[in-house]
Amino acid sequence: MNDESKNKIKERYHQVIQRGERFWPDSIFKDAIMALAIFVILILLATFIGVASEPKADPSDMSYVPRPEWYFLFLFKFLAIYGQIPLLGKIEWIATVIVPSIAIILLVLMPFLDKSPNRYYSKRIMPLSIMGVLVTSMVSLTLMADVPTGTSLPGILQTIGGLVIPGLAYILILLLAFFFKKAPATCMAWTAVAAGVLMVGFTVAVLFLAPAPVTAETVVANTVIEKIQAGQDLYAVNCVECHGEDGKVTKIEGVKGLEGKEIPAINNNDVLYTLDDASIGEVIAYGRPIAGMNPFGKAFNPEGLSKSEIDYIVTFMRYMWDDRFEKPVLKPLYPPLAAGEVPSYDVHIAPIFNRYCVSCHRKGKDNNNFWVTSYDEILKTGDNAPNVIAGDANSPLLTLISGTPIMDPADPTKELAGKMPPNNNLKPDIVAVIKAWIMAGMPQTADDAAKLTPVPVPTATPKP
Amino acid sequence: MWQKIYLWLDERLGLKEMYTGILDRPEPKGNWWNTLGSASLFLFILQAVTGIFLTVYYTPSPDHAYDSIQYIMTGVAFGWLVRGVHHWGATLMVLVVFIHLLRVFVTASYKYPRELTWLVGVGLFLMTLGMGFTGYLLPWNQKAFWATTVATQIAGSVPYLGDFILKVLRGGSDLSALTLQRFFAAHIWILPAILTGLIFVHLFLIIKHGESHFPQKED
Repeated sequence: MNDESKNKIKERYHQVIQRGERFWPDSIFKDAIMALAIFVILILLATFIGVASEPKADPSDMSYVPRPEWYFLFLFKFLAIYGQIPLLGKIEWIATVIVPSIAIILLVLMPFLDKSPNRYYSKRIMPLSIMGVLVTSMVSLTLMADVPTGTSLPGILQTIGGLVIPGLAYILILLLAFFFKKAPATCMAWTAVAAGVLMVGFTVAVLFLAPAPVTAETVVANTVIEKIQAGQDLYAVNCVECHGEDGKVTKIEGVKGLEGKEIPAINNNDVLYTLDDASIGEVIAYGRPIAGMNPFGKAFNPEGLSKSEIDYIVTFMRYMWDDRFEKPVLKPLYPPLAAGEVPSYDVHIAPIFNRYCVSCHRKGKDNNNFWVTSYDEILKTGDNAPNVIAGDANSPLLTLISGTPIMDPADPTKELAGKMPPNNNLKPDIVAVIKAWIMAGMPQTADDAAKLTPVPVPTATPKP
Repeated sequence: MWQKIYLWLDERLGLKEMYTGILDRPEPKGNWWNTLGSASLFLFILQAVTGIFLTVYYTPSPDHAYDSIQYIMTGVAFGWLVRGVHHWGATLMVLVVFIHLLRVFVTASYKYPRELTWLVGVGLFLMTLGMGFTGYLLPWNQKAFWATTVATQIAGSVPYLGDFILKVLRGGSDLSALTLQRFFAAHIWILPAILTGLIFVHLFLIIKHGESHFPQKED
């Protein structure tokens, strides 16, 4: 740039500020309002949306689908779409290194590439058009980030909308700028507008056609009490079979493959004083093969316990059995029932079954194929199904949990099914809840149960 | 009395010159688009303040990072607010800085005599993204761990240098305690130091050349 145009720019700026304002107080005033608005927005976001809880990092959990922070999502999507291009798509570093580097270099060199002193919008149609297409494609890639790429219709549409259209638009704009200089400059602007409209259209179409994303709800325990309770539930399913409800079993009974194995009790100071949380966690994750302890971590079994879940179990053991810790007050297993109230599966029965039965009565265990991990399973599974019959006080399940084995009618000395649970008895109030549930017709949801609960006749209130 | 203190300070600090030099500057007529730069600065200061509070309780080790954040969220008075503001502030800062960059691009404010301001600004933008990237790992949850695994893998795809870059970022071949320590150091020392330095250069250049005006037909 020559001195003449430099002076022209300086002179022009001098004129402009003559008609301008003062930094203090005019501009600062607007800045302060903006800062205040941002502050209020942040407080509102932090208070009403907050930060989503996530489970602890688990390096052995290979099944986790990674997802970057939202402002990198467009790059993530770009990579995914780029990877589908035949041949070129295999050379990953073109998309991961070359393309971002070009973008950054262009950004850095902008003042040196665009040396014309012109600043007015209509004199800079080419850079504005390119930037417009770029930003629109970034927004559209971000919006489409959760739609899977592939050969399905949304997959193809997003390839066109996210890669083909912007690509063609850049080429067209550059051709117009450097080869077809005779074409009016507005052609470039129209190219950009057309590409933008098409991209928006394709994005809307993709989002409309895309299958609803499956969000697996993971429950994260945040407070100590929540952790202990989560740990108790996990302990009941995974550990009770061998270690017993209170961890003091020293000889395993009734577990295939480990029958009669002698194990140390895990609820005493020998264990809890000498092993810290991390060590107990490692024992659970990796097992102790010589002592007969199976590994429960994800490193051995994709369905295994996650790092967070193991943490919960350790917290549970610590607070319940370590005498240096104060025993917390935990909420009851199920909400107490009012007189005559009908229990429901969701609210009362599921927690009971999970605590006392699921440990053995699930897939892959020796249990006459009677599984109780869901409402339907309780009703339908089992070699001698049904084990529960609505309104029948002699349902096999009720007989067994009352402590009476069922004998073979042909040979009265032979047990068809032993009492349940095999090693101890359920508390009478729990048996009563299950009985009340079966007698009332086994409602699944709290609403169903409420309908079955006899409504006390309301005393008539005089209308005003 | 106050008059005396003011005069004493003014003699030594030059408050009057500061006022005319920094505050009482003539500027072109602006609008709300001109507030994005100062909004970025405000967000940076807010992130610094909340970040400093968070380091009081945060422990950068794989064994304790997750639990220390859980403690901030549930155990510390207003910890949830400080963390919430830091979390959302990061999102908003990336957004505001990016829109600020677009505004400067659209009004061609990067042209003479403000080329250097633009260069420094691009540096600030990249550092902001770096802050977002390094801060994302610190909670040490599943999302953080696997996103960083993939992102460092991508950085490792550079031909020839990839393996070296990957090892520098991770402090070894896998994500480990070293990675967390490294990202923490970058997040609270290295990048903020660079950012602060660049911000001062950026501000100096703005005061030196004045804010650019919105282009009119004759520009």
